Amino acid sequence: MLENIDSIGLDFDTELQGVKDLKQLEEIRIKYLSRNGIVAGLFEQLKNASKEEKPRLGKELNALRNSVQEKFDNLKSSIEENSSEESSKIDLTLPGRNRIIGSKHILVQTLEEMKSIFKGLGFSVFEGPELESDYNNFTALNFPLDHPARDMQDTFFITEDFLLRTHTSPVQVRVMQKVKPPIRAIMPGKVYRNEAVSSRSLCVFHQIEGLYVDKDVTFAELKGTLISFARQFYGKDLSYRFRPSFFPFTEPSAEMDITCYLCKGKGCRICKHTGWLEILGCGMVDPNVLENAGVDPEEFTGYAFGMGIERTALLKNGITDIRLFVENDYRFLKQF
Amino acid sequence: MKISLNWLKDYIDLTGISDEEVISNLTMSGLEVEDYEDQAKLYDKFIIAYVKEKDKHPNADKLSLCKLTDGKVDYQVVCGAPNVAAGQRVVFAKEGAIVPNGGFQIKKAKLRGIESFGMICSESELNLSDDHSGIIVLDDSYEIGKSFAEAFGLNDVVLEIGITPNRPDALSHIGVARDLAAIFNRELKIPKVELKESAQDVNTEAAIEIIDAVDCPRYTAKVVKGVKIKESPEWMKRRLKAIGLRPINNVVDITNYVMYEAGQPLHAFDLDKVGGKKIIVRKAGADNKFVTLDSKERVIEAESLMICDGNKPVAVAGVMGGENSEISAQTENILIESAYFNPSSIRKTSKRLGLSTDASYRYERGCDPNNTLYVAERAAQLMAELGEGTILKGSIDVYPEKINEKTVRLRESRTFRILGYKIEREKIKNIILNLGMKIIAEEEDVFKILIPTYRPDIEREIDVIEEIARIHGYENIPAVERIANSLDAKIDESEFIEKARNTATSLGFYEILNNSLISEKAAELMGKSIQVLNYQSADMSNLRTSLLQGMLQTISKNIKVGEKNLRLFETGNVFIKKADIIKSFDDFSESTKLILAITGSDAEKEWHSKERAIDFYDLKGLVDSFLGNLFQNSALRDSYNEESDSIYSYYYTKESGKETVGSGGKIKKELLKQFDINQDVYCFEFDVDKLKSLLNIKSKFKELLRFPKIERDFAFIFDKNISNSEIKDYILSCKSKLLKNVRLFDLFESETFGSAKRSLAYSLEFYDENKTLTDEEVDKEFTELTLSVKKKFNAELRGI
Repeated sequence: MLENIDSIGLDFDTELQGVKDLKQLEEIRIKYLSRNGIVAGLFEQLKNASKEEKPRLGKELNALRNSVQEKFDNLKSSIEENSSEESSKIDLTLPGRNRIIGSKHILVQTLEEMKSIFKGLGFSVFEGPELESDYNNFTALNFPLDHPARDMQDTFFITEDFLLRTHTSPVQVRVMQKVKPPIRAIMPGKVYRNEAVSSRSLCVFHQIEGLYVDKDVTFAELKGTLISFARQFYGKDLSYRFRPSFFPFTEPSAEMDITCYLCKGKGCRICKHTGWLEILGCGMVDPNVLENAGVDPEEFTGYAFGMGIERTALLKNGITDIRLFVENDYRFLKQF
Repeated sequence: MKISLNWLKDYIDLTGISDEEVISNLTMSGLEVEDYEDQAKLYDKFIIAYVKEKDKHPNADKLSLCKLTDGKVDYQVVCGAPNVAAGQRVVFAKEGAIVPNGGFQIKKAKLRGIESFGMICSESELNLSDDHSGIIVLDDSYEIGKSFAEAFGLNDVVLEIGITPNRPDALSHIGVARDLAAIFNRELKIPKVELKESAQDVNTEAAIEIIDAVDCPRYTAKVVKGVKIKESPEWMKRRLKAIGLRPINNVVDITNYVMYEAGQPLHAFDLDKVGGKKIIVRKAGADNKFVTLDSKERVIEAESLMICDGNKPVAVAGVMGGENSEISAQTENILIESAYFNPSSIRKTSKRLGLSTDASYRYERGCDPNNTLYVAERAAQLMAELGEGTILKGSIDVYPEKINEKTVRLRESRTFRILGYKIEREKIKNIILNLGMKIIAEEEDVFKILIPTYRPDIEREIDVIEEIARIHGYENIPAVERIANSLDAKIDESEFIEKARNTATSLGFYEILNNSLISEKAAELMGKSIQVLNYQSADMSNLRTSLLQGMLQTISKNIKVGEKNLRLFETGNVFIKKADIIKSFDDFSESTKLILAITGSDAEKEWHSKERAIDFYDLKGLVDSFLGNLFQNSALRDSYNEESDSIYSYYYTKESGKETVGSGGKIKKELLKQFDINQDVYCFEFDVDKLKSLLNIKSKFKELLRFPKIERDFAFIFDKNISNSEIKDYILSCKSKLLKNVRLFDLFESETFGSAKRSLAYSLEFYDENKTLTDEEVDKEFTELTLSVKKKFNAELRGI
């Protein structure tokens, strides 16, 4: 039988070719490779071989066993691979295991976008307190006592001398007292107005303030900076205009309008049929304000601007009711 | 303020300039036209029609069926008015007309089965008056077929202008015309006053005395006798109605008309009701009750300025006249008051009374002290013309100290420096002169300018520069881009909070923003709170002392709309009162906080895992992940408290040195109940300023380990009252040189251990930075540790 080593190898090959599944393969394993199988039987016969032939036969037999085993293993893993894909077919349509990622409030997102634009234009970011002195909020900003200008901003008072800031402009005063010119800063934050809450107004809202004080800062440059901001923030194709206005702390004062994004300037309810939307107030820092903050208005000039975040976020996102910003409905929060 | 374009054209010739140009130029030079109404467009498709026939509606008793004609076409119309009749001339709204009162469009309609092609109008529907008792019936002078607007002279364009508080001069038609004159470089035409006065001297009929000359620097009066009180002529009524005023009688209408013409408030007294025929201007003093002409009794403070006669007050100066000296149908003799009051005095009185009138609005912004005589004469002239009155000779004009025009120096160079753009010298001069200022001296760079007293807002050079810029047009100043590179370091004080926000969102938290004003009760939960003096409502009366109250409210609202599984955060400022009375910034604290809150399930029910209710360990893990992302090596200590307080059932704090940087835990059920929440809520609030200070502890880079770690596990059965941290701290304190880390990886309770026991399994990590450890070295230490733990806690070893 030992003489048939070669033919046994061939037989094995032939039989292996007919194998379709693991069951048939197992039958072949038992026949050839089990403890009582053909290969084991050959090794058994080897014991009876002559001393001279033993090394040669042993070598051949080992080669046969290795070759059979290898062929068997290859086929087995190949059958297993195929069969596993077929029998336990995966349902790729099952939902994945989600991880929740939250989001920042849309007002904060809006503010951060503005902040990053101004940081790119070389502005620093400062913050100031919400509970302010009447002096910083009004007097230092050139609001005379008993002047109708104070009515422009309905105020929540804490005492006669302390109030909830009605705008972020008092931070201008604080920054000018803290930092020597050149000052190039934006100042975002919460502000308060004693106004009825409606779909269009809140009594607590957010503003961002800007200030640039240096030698030879001009109105022309104010326009340039704000146009650059507006193009980055609202899109480069927009039209804009600067209208004279009045703020006690700037002179000349202006308001900046952009084309109504809804009607593209044709006139609609949102823009009160003017085709324009006001986005911010600005102007050259009033010499009195500089002086109050200890900056010499003959040596330095400056510009300042301020805008509301809520209104901007309404415009940009097509939100119709400003109260949604403070209702904090999860269904609203998840949209941004 | 409303401005009629027809009226405006009395003072400036606007030929060749379209209404649209007028509107846009006003807006672009500082008088913002917020809205406008074109009457011709408003009354488009309203015509004068003739009622040819009137029959009863076959299906309705109260309706009639009419046939109307515009002279060419006939219209069938169903009408509900009781006074409609054949042969009438009426105002007819054709199909497509938009009814001014209500804004609805007229359409062909079937009324009780009969088609109707338009509507016959009442005064109310046309916004002419409140009368809706019946249709308007016109006399034969109205031409059939003519447009209603034309027939009624309603061809005006009325502008709504937003006047900023610095521009009292623009609160009149002449004031607006003056701006237009400067913009279009045209002449301003101020009406000439030529009076036919009687021989009788005004001083024989009246006297004026100013006691308080600080609050009343000037008082001018004229007397007109024998005035017939009647309706004003149509043209005047039309103008007053156009700007939203209700015509009353000729005298009252004239005072209003002249105020809207020239900006100076006027008051007309019935001279016969002025006791002693004498006017005294003084503080109210003890006269603390007064009935104004709106028939309301008002409490007057002693400091308020009053106009009095020989015996009693007759008007609240600059605010409102009194009922006791009001013009009535019987009035014959009139004293016209044209005064200049101190703006801040009028403002205080108006504020104290809570009463703002057209007069007080102008006085508190500042009228022209040097125009009172002209205006009084102008009113007297109109009273003579429209009321057949006789003007007494002269005027009484008490003006103890003349208010002079201010002088301002304007530098051309400064103008250029502020604007960054050179406006031609001639242009600058032109603007100055067109606005009524005078140049009294001119040097190479400097103009000396006299500022008219109707411009109290112009006091300094910068004020003149603004005038030049706005009339020249901001649009004509080019935008300059200059990137100023400064070498100083840029600062971003919001950087840390921005990073904290990023971290929170990456952990699945959504950001909320709450009102900082909350109820007193809620505010007091977390500290001494600060109250707003003039709060709007009790639920927004106090400043928040913590972010917790707002968070619980938000959670409650969300649960009500079905959102029960929430992960929310907020950052914002909170306010704590430190002294009973706030006199300085030291008497309260304002600090920034950040709160994390979780409630409901960790995840929705899913095919791969069960829904699991959130618990304390979720909070703890999230807090640690949050801090771990912000600080690599914060070395914060946890300090636990199993006892409940007023907020938490149990809580823990994060400590750095002696400072508590944050605290949180499970919110008490009683508190949740107050917010109408009946599921567990876990919150943690950080003090952001203290967190920020941890940034100073810089973490250093640690060399990567070059040799393998070896892990050994053991599980013991411990008494339940021995805490995890006790065990862990003990293991770490055992001075094993090679042990570097201990981690709890299994907790198991079983009846077989007894209810007072539990099994805790720890994984111990061993390594040496300088060499590869052998099993023998580790086993030696591990065995010692095992024995120590067993002995220390009297624990039973379950397995290694």
